[in-house]
Amino acid sequence: MAGGPITVTFRRKLLAVFALTVFVTVAGVGGLVLILTRQAFEKNEDQRTSALFTQFQGEFTRQGEEVARRVDAIAGSEPIGRMATALSATAADSAAYFDLAKSLADTHRLDFLELVDSRGIIISSAQSPAKFGYPENDFENLTATAERTPFLMQQELPDSTALAMMAVRTSRVGDHPIYVIGGRRLDKSFLAAIELPADMQVLLYMNRGDHFSSEFLIDPSGSTAVPSTLVTLIDSVRQYNQETTGIVHRSADQGDDELFHAIPLRGVGKDHPLLGILLIGSSRRSYVELKRHIRDSALLVGGGGIVLAILLSSWAAARVTRPVELLARAAHDVAAGDWDARVDVPGNDEISQLAESFNRMTSELLAQKERTVQAERVAAWRELARRLAHELKNPLFPLQLTVENLLRARTQSPELFQEMFQESAGTLLAEISNLKKIISRFSDFSKMPQPQLQVVNLNETLRGVAQLFQAQFEAPGRLPIECKLELDSHLRSIAADPELLHRAFSNLVLNAMDALPNGGTLVLRSRQEDANEIIEVSDTGSGLTPEECERIFTPYYTSKQHGTGLGLAIVQSVVSDHGGRISVKSETGRGTTFRIELPADRQSVEHLGNPDTPAKSIL
Amino acid sequence: MKLFDWRWLAVSSVLAVTLMARAEARPQYGGTLHVTTRAALTSLDPADSSQSASFAQENILRLIFETLVSIDDAGRIHPGLAIGWKPAANERRWHFQLRRGVKFQDGTLLTPEIAAASLRAANPAWTVSADSDGLVVERDVADPELPAELALPRNAIARRNSGAAPIGTGPFRIGEWQAGKKLVLAAEEDYWSGRPYLDSIEIEMGRSFRDQMTELELARADLVEVAPEQAHRASLDGRKLVISEPVELVGLVFAQDAKTPEEKSLREALALSIDRASIRNVLLQGAGQPAGALLPNWMSGYEFVFPTDSDLARARRDRDQSRNVPAWKLGYDANDSLAKFLSERIALNARDAGLQLQPAAGATGDLRLVRASYTSPDPWLALAGLATLGGVATTKSAGSVEDLYASEQALLNTRRIIPLFHLPVVYAAAPTLKGWTLRADGSWNLADAWLGAR
Repeated sequence: MAGGPITVTFRRKLLAVFALTVFVTVAGVGGLVLILTRQAFEKNEDQRTSALFTQFQGEFTRQGEEVARRVDAIAGSEPIGRMATALSATAADSAAYFDLAKSLADTHRLDFLELVDSRGIIISSAQSPAKFGYPENDFENLTATAERTPFLMQQELPDSTALAMMAVRTSRVGDHPIYVIGGRRLDKSFLAAIELPADMQVLLYMNRGDHFSSEFLIDPSGSTAVPSTLVTLIDSVRQYNQETTGIVHRSADQGDDELFHAIPLRGVGKDHPLLGILLIGSSRRSYVELKRHIRDSALLVGGGGIVLAILLSSWAAARVTRPVELLARAAHDVAAGDWDARVDVPGNDEISQLAESFNRMTSELLAQKERTVQAERVAAWRELARRLAHELKNPLFPLQLTVENLLRARTQSPELFQEMFQESAGTLLAEISNLKKIISRFSDFSKMPQPQLQVVNLNETLRGVAQLFQAQFEAPGRLPIECKLELDSHLRSIAADPELLHRAFSNLVLNAMDALPNGGTLVLRSRQEDANEIIEVSDTGSGLTPEECERIFTPYYTSKQHGTGLGLAIVQSVVSDHGGRISVKSETGRGTTFRIELPADRQSVEHLGNPDTPAKSIL
Repeated sequence: MKLFDWRWLAVSSVLAVTLMARAEARPQYGGTLHVTTRAALTSLDPADSSQSASFAQENILRLIFETLVSIDDAGRIHPGLAIGWKPAANERRWHFQLRRGVKFQDGTLLTPEIAAASLRAANPAWTVSADSDGLVVERDVADPELPAELALPRNAIARRNSGAAPIGTGPFRIGEWQAGKKLVLAAEEDYWSGRPYLDSIEIEMGRSFRDQMTELELARADLVEVAPEQAHRASLDGRKLVISEPVELVGLVFAQDAKTPEEKSLREALALSIDRASIRNVLLQGAGQPAGALLPNWMSGYEFVFPTDSDLARARRDRDQSRNVPAWKLGYDANDSLAKFLSERIALNARDAGLQLQPAAGATGDLRLVRASYTSPDPWLALAGLATLGGVATTKSAGSVEDLYASEQALLNTRRIIPLFHLPVVYAAAPTLKGWTLRADGSWNLADAWLGAR
């Protein structure tokens, strides 16, 4: 059915449930395995990072001790002693020693060495010989660390900056100590000394300036490409000054990703400034490949499972759902009026028992229906007979009396016979005419015509009915009836037989007039509700009892003394022939409302003609 | 008798000692002088301008070649291969009378034609012609400094044969020549001024100062160069040093003229920020003199009027006159460790004044640290040479000291050159080397040198 709702059969639902169950199970297991794998990987990663950092610290300590030992040796060397002795003199000139640091640094294989006097003035600098006479940066912090463990420090060089592992020692002659500040550069060779697993790497970033600069990144592998994600990681540590972990993407392939732990390296001093960042990277290739393997396996198993589930569940569902489908089809046939529908389900399970019960139920329903039809038919004949007897009995009784009066008059008063004959003949003809009318009504009911559809404006039809009965509403000798029209001006035209509708509405008006012997108000109302046009005929009469409401549309049923019981039956027949429905709502003492719902079939209307064309008047 | 014997013995001893001392002080022929230089000469042609000038080059060329005239420390012109000269046409034409009987080292007689050809090769723009007894040099404009210019080594007279080394008239001839490495000179027996005492001179080139000092200590060299900044230490070590007058200018040379007054102020701020005294005291170890002028005092006589002290406050004021302070790149000779230290120190001083100066090894940059030797003891020629170095055109017109001062001041006012130091050249000689002299302009005179007993 194009455009209609998709019918999901029980078999499809069963198939979907089976497939979904398999899929969810495989996905759940796969996801669980992935989570457990990731956790295991991360745990392993943490352990490896921790081990590498410990190794870095060990290497740092080892080389720091070596630096301290060499600085110790320099501080205790003869050239330093001679210089300290010479400079302890009042008028000593330190110019002669400006290149001493360089020669001592070369001798003791230190990258950095500065000789600083007690005022913090540089006497000699190996790394920046031109800095003689300038004050040593951060001199107070440096001297505070003298004789203590090595520390990190940034060294400003003439054309660059370096991260160094430094130590401070003092050579004291007299009251003026000479500070020997020496160290080694933390560079590629330092990082290369750290033994790394095959899939790990270690980088060192020297924190300098306000923004990231690749020139400060020390990479022993010589790689020059710095992914933006690594820059972000470094910037994060620079901003928050705490250890951070992040994934660095080196290409579109996730296998090239690396998990980096960025560990801040701080210097000495009150604020422990962030001098560098140690970056320990671990390739995620093994993890990604394992994850891919698990995912591929899960997809393969899941896909295969789903296909297998579909095949098996198709077979199983067919076995399970076939009796149900037979039952559904049989129920549909029964609903469609085929009371002979049967379901043949072999076996002795619940479905078979259900089928047997269904068969027994339909048999009993069929028997019951036949009994009911027969009973109704008998009741209808009885009612018809009663009604006919009642209807015919009324005129027959005057006929009988008239004939008996004639007979009596002929025998007892022959002189009056002629006169009585004339009177009685008139009476007899009148009653005979009455009998013919009764018979004619019954004949008319049996010959209700099929509707001849036209485009009908219901409001016009209601106005016509009201106009037709207007004279009777105000007829002399009876109390007046006020007729009100409450018509919806937007009411749509429908495809209907105008004469039949006119007849039906007239019957309802007549019925209402009968209910208003003492006058009152009659309302003819029209409106739209969804796809239906609603017509209501209300009166303010005495109303109906609930029992009367139930039986009021039964043919030949009437609560009136002289009614045939066919008026409302005709109305119901007309409404039914137009695909509509009629109902009654009444409250004793407050009046009755008949409600007619007529479908507004637009296709039929458009087929019959322009809906805007006024409906053909039936008047 | 006994008394007589003792008197005779005493007189004899005194006489013997006196004779021995006189023999030690008397020049001796023979021997090979070993010299080392830092410069590595690639050509022995005086007119070859492809290699950078150096004292070593000029000194070596003076051993092989001679100029028409020479100039003394006071700037006076003396005869050389020319025995007389005379200007004409308002000093636009100069006639030089050649010394007769002078021969080249291959025996060829020096003729006016050869001398004229030699000068034309060295100075293609000159018009040089020979006449019967000499040659005539003609210039488009008056050139009073022409005789002094002819005293420059590049104008030495050489006889050039295609495919062979040029031949000179000097006291030594080329014995062995390995370009850039070694030169052996042999005494010219027929030198017109008399055979030199030395039989030969072996010159090892391209040796560092340290290596040269080692060679001297090992007695494998008799005459070595000493870096000015190492002179003090060498003297403390007991070395016999010979130090010239300041003959080299250390300065900063900007690549372009200052385009705006603000830029001139920045350059002035840079000049004021440099603490020349500290640099001289430490980096130069007391050698040389802080320079406020281009020419040294011994040459100009007025150098002391130019201030050399740093004035950081004024430098900052000058710097503050510019809203935009560019980051200058300071180039220096990567092979010169002193230049490196000087550049770094200058950068530090400049930073104190709020200037940005980034030293970088290499010849390029917004400005360069240069070490330029004076081309001549003649101040006009020397100033002209410095002007050329700074890319500023100037005239070589002899005049009064006031004129010289005005010319130098004008050159300084261009702010293309900031003088820093005047440095001497320093040599260390073995005790056996006798009779050699070092002139004020840093040139040797080995023609009269001789080797004593070790």
